[in-house]
Amino acid sequence: MNNQSCIPIKKEWDIVGARQYGRDIAKNLGFGSVDQARIATAISELARNIYLYAQKGKICFDIVEGVNKKGIKIVAIDEGPGIEEISKVMEDGYTTSGGLGAGLPGIKRLMDDFDIISEVGKGTEITVVKWLR
Amino acid sequence: MDTVLQDIVLGNSDEIVKKWINEVEKNSVHKYSLTISEELFDSTNREFVNVIFVSVQNQGSKDDLKDFAERIINFGWPLNYLTEGMQAFRRVTTNFIIERSETLDAERFKQVLESVDEWVDPIVNFLVSEYSGSWESTVSLQKVALQELSAPLIPVMDGITVMPLIGTIDTERAKLIMENLLEGAIKHNAEVVLIDITGVPVVDTMVAHHIIQAAEAVRLVGSTCILVGIRPEIAQTIVNLGIDLSKFPTKSSLRKGFQSALEITDRAVVNLKDKGNEMENMIDSLNKG
Amino acid sequence: MMRIPILKLHNYLLISIQIDLDDQTAIQFQEDLLKKIHETGATGVVIDLTSVDIVDSYIAKVLGDVVSMSDLMGAKVVLTGIQPAVAITLIDLGIHLKDVPTSLDLEKGLIKLRQELEE
Ligand SMILES: Nc1ncnc2c1ncn2[C@@H]1O[C@H](COP(=O)(O)OP(=O)(O)OP(=O)(O)O)[C@@H](O)[C@H]1O
Ligand SMILES: [Mg+2]
Repeated sequence: MNNQSCIPIKKEWDIVGARQYGRDIAKNLGFGSVDQARIATAISELARNIYLYAQKGKICFDIVEGVNKKGIKIVAIDEGPGIEEISKVMEDGYTTSGGLGAGLPGIKRLMDDFDIISEVGKGTEITVVKWLR
Repeated sequence: MDTVLQDIVLGNSDEIVKKWINEVEKNSVHKYSLTISEELFDSTNREFVNVIFVSVQNQGSKDDLKDFAERIINFGWPLNYLTEGMQAFRRVTTNFIIERSETLDAERFKQVLESVDEWVDPIVNFLVSEYSGSWESTVSLQKVALQELSAPLIPVMDGITVMPLIGTIDTERAKLIMENLLEGAIKHNAEVVLIDITGVPVVDTMVAHHIIQAAEAVRLVGSTCILVGIRPEIAQTIVNLGIDLSKFPTKSSLRKGFQSALEITDRAVVNLKDKGNEMENMIDSLNKG
Repeated sequence: MMRIPILKLHNYLLISIQIDLDDQTAIQFQEDLLKKIHETGATGVVIDLTSVDIVDSYIAKVLGDVVSMSDLMGAKVVLTGIQPAVAITLIDLGIHLKDVPTSLDLEKGLIKLRQELEE
């Protein structure tokens, strides 16, 4: 699986599908059970945010190689409403939907690299990477 | 590669070796710092310079060099013995060729320096990388050893397990400790886990944070976590951090922590000596009666 | 969507979650459990999560809510068998389930309930 593969997120069950798919990739790459759970959980959060706030989008998976290391890259892309104040949504407990507001700051802690690009009215793209130790 | 220059050097190897050895012996700190015999120092020098010549002669082949480097590293000779030796070789060879040259203009001078660099630099690079390679592998071995040692889990009795933490805790180790702790708690069916931080030298905010996260995770899997070995300065950091520890039992010493662990698991230490006395009393009364 | 079976044992309800929970199933479970507590007047509930290998923030919220709601209805809930990987991801997410009682396994969960209810 060298070329990117994407899973569309349209309905609620796609959240479960995406995280199971991601967990399989992580397992094949050699991640331990705890990191597999971290990766699957992060995917679940990303996919649910797409489903809840943008209605539809996709989650793309990629294997990345750095100097002496290998990892899994996950990109969540949607063309939804976008996020106005990124610093705000990165705070623990901030939510506009009555959730725990743990999703985005949690993803950052679960993964190693975290990058977010968002434009109001255009959409959101969140890229995360977990490196194999 | 300038073959004329190479021929000069190889053709006069005896003389260059003599000069090189003089140069190296002048700088004989290594002889003393290594506490080795005169003979071993001499023979090693000879071998070193031979290896250099072999390497200059057949460009590319580094087998002899590798062999030599391995032995030097295993004996624990310092890296600067090798680098100083190579510097001496550079000096001696450059001087030697220049002294032999009839014409000596800038062009010629540059040519000599370049040629000698061409011989010396690959050898230096090779030696340094051999050296640092072995150093890195030692470090990574030590890292593995440390990790193995880092989080032992001791099931002291049914339902009670102790994890003594020793040494500095970084993020990497903290993750490992957490995983060991949780898997161990489940494996040993531990109702109570005592984390002993007596052996952690510095508890900064980050370490405190990791320990508390571990304690919270232990609670989630269904065990009770007691933090023991809390020194005054650690109590200070925790409070300054604003971390609410009221949900976690904490104790100053392992002994006190173990006492609470017994209470939690509905047990108590019974003094056998008293029992013995009771027996004696009973027997006494029987005898009297 | 699937239905999670709820077993009744004396005054207790026992649930063992054996599937990868999606949101709909989780909400349905919340409803089913509250209804069952109402019907049976159960005083204690054990939810065993031994076979659950992922709990994200949504599922965590549903579980936390179930505990508070059951509490309101007079039934104490204990979560049992949370796996190490799940515990660690919850902590990473910043979810501590502070007011939720936990136990290592179903049996210990039942003992804990009995102790707490006797007090
Ligand atoms: N893809 C997205 N498009 C638009 N807004 C988003 C997107 N993802 C997140 N947000 C906004 O960021 C806020 C914080 O998201 P976060 O995932 O941290 O918390 P939550 O989804 O509200 O709750 P939780 O994930 O804990 O159930 C959301 O409430 C939402 O307003
Ligand atoms: Mg979210």
